[in-house]
Amino acid sequence: MFDAFIEGLFLVLQWKAFSLMLVGMGLGFCVGLLPGIGGAATLALMIPFVFKMQPAEAFAFLLGMHAVAATTGDITSVLFGVPGEAISAATVVDGYPMAKKGEAGRALGAALMSSLVGALIGALALALAIPIVRPLVLAFGSPELFMLAVIGISCITSLSGAGARGQIKGFSMGLFGLLVSTIGQERQSGSLRFDMGLMYLWEGLDFVPVLVGIFAIPEIIDLTVRGTSIAGERPAENLRSGVMEGIKDTFRHFWLVFRCSVVGVFVGILPGAGGGVAQWMAYAHAVQGAKDAADRERFGKGDVRGVLGPGAANNSKEGGELIPTVAFGVPGSGAMAILLSAFLIMGLSPGPDMLTKHLSITFSMVWTLVIANIIAVLLCLTILDQLAKVTTVRGGLIIPFVLLLVFVGSYTANGQITDLIVTLIFGVLSYFMVLFGWPRPPFVLGFVLGKVIETYFFISVARYGFTWLRQPMVVALIILMLLVIAYPYIQQQRQRAQGRANA
Amino acid sequence: MHRGRIVFCVFLMVVTASAIYLALEWPFKAKLFPLSVSIPLFILAGIQLLQLLVGKEEIIESAAVDLEFSSDVPPEIERRRVITAFSWIAGFILAVYLIGFPLTVPLFICFYLRFESGVGALPTIAATAITWAMFYGLFQKLVHLQFEQGAIQTWLGL
Repeated sequence: MFDAFIEGLFLVLQWKAFSLMLVGMGLGFCVGLLPGIGGAATLALMIPFVFKMQPAEAFAFLLGMHAVAATTGDITSVLFGVPGEAISAATVVDGYPMAKKGEAGRALGAALMSSLVGALIGALALALAIPIVRPLVLAFGSPELFMLAVIGISCITSLSGAGARGQIKGFSMGLFGLLVSTIGQERQSGSLRFDMGLMYLWEGLDFVPVLVGIFAIPEIIDLTVRGTSIAGERPAENLRSGVMEGIKDTFRHFWLVFRCSVVGVFVGILPGAGGGVAQWMAYAHAVQGAKDAADRERFGKGDVRGVLGPGAANNSKEGGELIPTVAFGVPGSGAMAILLSAFLIMGLSPGPDMLTKHLSITFSMVWTLVIANIIAVLLCLTILDQLAKVTTVRGGLIIPFVLLLVFVGSYTANGQITDLIVTLIFGVLSYFMVLFGWPRPPFVLGFVLGKVIETYFFISVARYGFTWLRQPMVVALIILMLLVIAYPYIQQQRQRAQGRANA
Repeated sequence: MHRGRIVFCVFLMVVTASAIYLALEWPFKAKLFPLSVSIPLFILAGIQLLQLLVGKEEIIESAAVDLEFSSDVPPEIERRRVITAFSWIAGFILAVYLIGFPLTVPLFICFYLRFESGVGALPTIAATAITWAMFYGLFQKLVHLQFEQGAIQTWLGL
C-alpha cells in the first residue's frame, strides 16, 4: 500500500498531470468566485476534455478544479455577502459582518486557512478510510440517513436566538424552509405540490436563486442604505496583519476546525446529504461551542469561529465525498456523480478494483486534493491584500457589479428569467426576515434538507414499515438528536447555576 | 416596526393556512410531509403573533444568529434608500425581460454608475465597456450560457 501511496504522488507530479491540475485550478478559481456557476456544472462542462487524458491526468484536472472552487467560493461570501457557491452560504453569516467591521483580511485569512486544514483532513480521511470504509457506508441505510438529516435539522436550536421566543422564531423558520422545499413534484406519488400552474416549479426551487436571494439581496440593501463602503467609516485594517490574524485564528481554534472538518468528512461520506448540509452543521457546531449567552450572541455579528467552522467543513467534505464514490461507485453529491462518469470514460470501474488494482490512481486523487489546496491557498494568500481592499471602495461603485454577479449567477440555475424573479422574491422575504429578527440560517437548513428528509423517510417506511425506529443505529442517532436539541438548554441551565454559585 | 412584525406573522399564518388548505386535496403520500410541517408552523406563528399582540415590545426581541441592519441612518432616508435599491433590482429584471441579458448588462452598469453613484462620464463608459467585454467573453464565448431573447426582440422578430 505504501508503494501505491508514493506512486500516487509521482503520478500527480508528472509534468502533464501537474500542468493540467494547474489549468483546472485556474478554472476552479474563477468558477468559485462567480455565484451560481457551481463546481458541479463546471465539472460537467469539462468532462468532454478528459477523453484523451490518462486517468491520473484527468483526475488531477477535474479534482484540482473542484477542490479550488470550494475554497474560493468563500471569498465572495466574505467580501460581498454573496455566496460564490451554494455550499459557501454559511460563511456569509459571520464572514460578511467581519468585512463590515473592517476585518475582511482576517475573515479571508481564516476562511482560506481553515479550508486548507479541512481539505488536508478530508484527504487524510480518504487515505485512511480506503481499507475500512466498506462497513461504515454499508451500516447507513435510508433510516440512518433520514435520522442524520433530522439531526441536521435539530441544529436549528443552535442557530436560533436564545430563549423561548428565539427558539420559536428559529423553529418557525426551519419549518418554513422545509415547507418551501416541498414545492414541486412529489417523488413517491408524482403529485404536483404548490406549483401554481407553473412548469418552472415542477422540479422544485433550485438552491442557487433561493440562496443568492436570501443572502445577497439584504446585504446589498444594507450597503445601499448605509451609503458607505462595505467596511463603513472604520479605520482601514492593516490587511497583511489582518490576514495573518485570520491564519493564527485557525490554529487558536484548531480543535474547532478539526471537529468541523470531521463533520464535513462524515456528511460527505453519506450519499445525498450534500455540501450545504456539512457547512450548516459545522456552523451550528461552532455556535454550540459558545461559552455562554453573551459569547453565543457574537455569532452572526462577525465572529471568526463562524467562518472557521464552515470553511473547514466545506473542504473536508471533498475527501469524504470521494470515499463512497471511489469505493462503491455511490456518488455523495451531484459533483461526484459527474466525476463518476469520468471514471467510466477512463475505463475504470469504481469499487474493489480502485482499492486494489488501481490503488495508485486512488491515492493520486488524495494527493491532488492535498497539492491543489495547498497551492490554491498560498496563491490566494498572496492576493488577499488586494482582494480585501474591495471592502474599502464606496458601496455605490460596487453594488452594480455585485448585483450583476447575483443575477447572472441566479440565471445560470435554469437559464430562465423566472430564476431572477425567484431571487427577488426570496430577497424581499429575506429582507423582512432580517428586519423583524427572524433568523435566516434555520430557513436555509430546512430548505436544503427538506427533500433529503422526505425522500429517506418514505424509503424507510416503504422498506421497513416503522420497525426501523428500533434499529440500534437509528436509536443511537435519535439519542444524538435529542442531545443536539437539548444542548443549548443544558448549557443555559449550567450557566445559570454557575451564575448563582458565583453570586 | 411593531406593526411590521405583526404583519410578518400574519403573512406566515396566511401562507401556512393556504398550504394546509391546498395539501388536504392531495394523496396521502404527497400531503403527509407538507401537512406535518405547515401545521406546527401555523401554530408557532400564531404563538408569536399572540406574544406580539399582548406582550411588551421591549421583551419581544431576542438576538438571532444572523445579520442585523445598520441603525445609524435616519428612518426617512433609510426608507427612501431601500425603495431605491429595490427599484433598481426590479428595473434590472424588467430590463432583462424586455431587452434580454446581453443588452441589460451594459445599460444597467452605465445607468447605475452615472445616475445613482454619480460617477463621471468617462469612467462610466470605461467601466461599462470592460464589464460588457468580460460578460461577453466569459459567459457567452467561454461558458456558452444561453440567454433568453428579450420580449421586444421577440415582438420585432429579431
